[in-house]
Amino acid sequence: MLQNIIDFCNYWWFRYLMVTELYMVEKWERVTIHVIFAVLFCLFWYFNYSVLLSFTGNILGITPISTIIDQQGSKIA
Amino acid sequence: MGNLYGDNGGVVQEHQQNSDFVNYCNKMQGNLVADMSNCGSGDLRARKNGFKANETEAKPVNGCLKNCSTNSTTCQQAKGKVCPNSSQALLTPAKKLKELAEEHTTKTSFEEVPLHTACLTYLGFYLLMILGYINQLLFVPKVAKEENRDGYVTLYDAFESFYSRYVYRRVRDCWNRPICSVPGDEVTLKDRVTKDYGWSFQFTGTETRCLNLGSYNYLGFADAKGPCAEKSEKTAREMGLAMTSSRVELGTTQLHLDLEQLTARYLGVEDAIVFGMGFATNALNLPSLISPGCLVLSDEKNHASIILGLRLSGATTKVFKHNNMRDLERVLRHNVVHGNPKAGGKPWKKILILVEGVFSMEGSIVRLPEIIALKKKYKAYLYLDEAHSIGAMGPNGGGAVDYFGVDPNDVDILMGTFTKSFGSAGGYIAGSKRLIDYLRTNSHAHCYASSMSPPIAQQIYTSMSMIMGLDGTDTGRQKINQLARNTRYFRRRLAQMGVITYGHEDSPVVPMLVYLFSKIGAVVRTLTTRHIAVVGVGFPATPIMEGRIRYCLSAAHTKEQLDYALDVIDEISDTLGLKYSRKPREPNPIEY
Repeated sequence: MLQNIIDFCNYWWFRYLMVTELYMVEKWERVTIHVIFAVLFCLFWYFNYSVLLSFTGNILGITPISTIIDQQGSKIA
Repeated sequence: MGNLYGDNGGVVQEHQQNSDFVNYCNKMQGNLVADMSNCGSGDLRARKNGFKANETEAKPVNGCLKNCSTNSTTCQQAKGKVCPNSSQALLTPAKKLKELAEEHTTKTSFEEVPLHTACLTYLGFYLLMILGYINQLLFVPKVAKEENRDGYVTLYDAFESFYSRYVYRRVRDCWNRPICSVPGDEVTLKDRVTKDYGWSFQFTGTETRCLNLGSYNYLGFADAKGPCAEKSEKTAREMGLAMTSSRVELGTTQLHLDLEQLTARYLGVEDAIVFGMGFATNALNLPSLISPGCLVLSDEKNHASIILGLRLSGATTKVFKHNNMRDLERVLRHNVVHGNPKAGGKPWKKILILVEGVFSMEGSIVRLPEIIALKKKYKAYLYLDEAHSIGAMGPNGGGAVDYFGVDPNDVDILMGTFTKSFGSAGGYIAGSKRLIDYLRTNSHAHCYASSMSPPIAQQIYTSMSMIMGLDGTDTGRQKINQLARNTRYFRRRLAQMGVITYGHEDSPVVPMLVYLFSKIGAVVRTLTTRHIAVVGVGFPATPIMEGRIRYCLSAAHTKEQLDYALDVIDEISDTLGLKYSRKPREPNPIEY
């Protein structure tokens, strides 16, 4: 069972490496690229969270849930 | 990004210079249309490519190759007479041409790449380039530094060297693999390992016997045993290994003259000239036929040797889309009407259409009858490079000319190589006597290049005689039939699997598209572990988008060998994700 899961993950990891051409690069390059991917992902995530989310909220007139919680919290306090 | 080695496409308009040049081809025109109808034009097309009847095909104009090869005396008599029916081909009905075009479309496949694969391929390529540049910043190998050259610009620095160091080097183990046996149906690879990601290799001392799907050994004449090898050995003992002189000096022997005569007879034309090197046949003879002020219409997938020859000649080159008759006619008409813009609209000295019989990277076959019709309509000359098609195509192994059953005299210049089907080396040019005489006096390859080695010439002579049936056996015919069967079977099985293959269904070159660089590497490596040797082709030999695995079939392969290879390919296409095709698949088993 566990072996099956490991095999499945290994196989699709291999397929992922292949379509991104990371299959044929050296290990440190693979790590570098993955770090870059991770950094990019985090930057996008933060951008979406901080800018895009409040922007769309403003346009559509939706109050973000975090603001409501903050307001509730301040009322209780 | 441009194509680096110019292996296909990439011919741009060249500078023009004025030079006086004997307008040879103009003299050539209308001079020799030998009557081949005496050789019988009958039912050459009945058995297409030695395999199967095909009713939709146009009838031959003046097919004679079959009979020329078996009954040369009739053919010899026929030569030189004025052909009463020579205008027949001019009057090829439009309907026939339309049928031919339709047949070409049904038999040729260039399936579009799925969009997500295209995006991933480009992204992957950019990733490799970025990593390459980072790598180059951090690790410059010793060989890449040019020392003791203060004040000089770098001599060897080019995009090519960057590319081969930081992209190609990563999968370098898949190319230029050393072999240690004759590359027949099987080949022995010398194993090697790399400990520094492709910068250097060490031999392990072991060997791997592989099924050979990578050699241009179409008719299986590359063999260490058999009549070809024996006769070549005998010739080597009698005449030595090299002539050490050029043809016009001391390098001509009776063997060369015999070979030229046999080649002419084989092709059904008046005369032929042979050269010791196939690449040089194109690169050095094109400049003697064309000059600045001439126009060349070149197919975009033409081989590097043709492109080099055109650049050397200084003629203006216009590239037309691969096998696209409409585009060819558009360019032809425009240039016939408007003339040479650099000479104030005067007519071009001559117009030459330059195509290959079988395109080695695409696996497609030239649309010869349509090109001949166009050439006659616009009075242009036709240069046909039969490097891959000679021997491998046609019911008699006569190349694309034989395959379509057209009159070989309709093609002004027939060029081909002996490297592929004949299992030897060198090239030839065949055509009218005047053309060949002109080349004998003007060709640089004839005057200066070393003559063909006697055992090499003997190998060609023996294998060509066998194809023509002059040895009294039907070995040659069997080989041609076997190749045709192998080709059909292999291509249909691949299509059934759902991988994308390019080209014409009768072409023995079978490119299988894998698109990504990593997949080229992975497929070649995986197939080697399963004892199958194949050739991977990537950028710059193909566009970035179109990395491929190229299978070359041979008459030496048996059905069992192909079945084994196909089963393995089927298996790895699943595991590596190569089944891109969205075409409907044949549900029934394919018959051999």
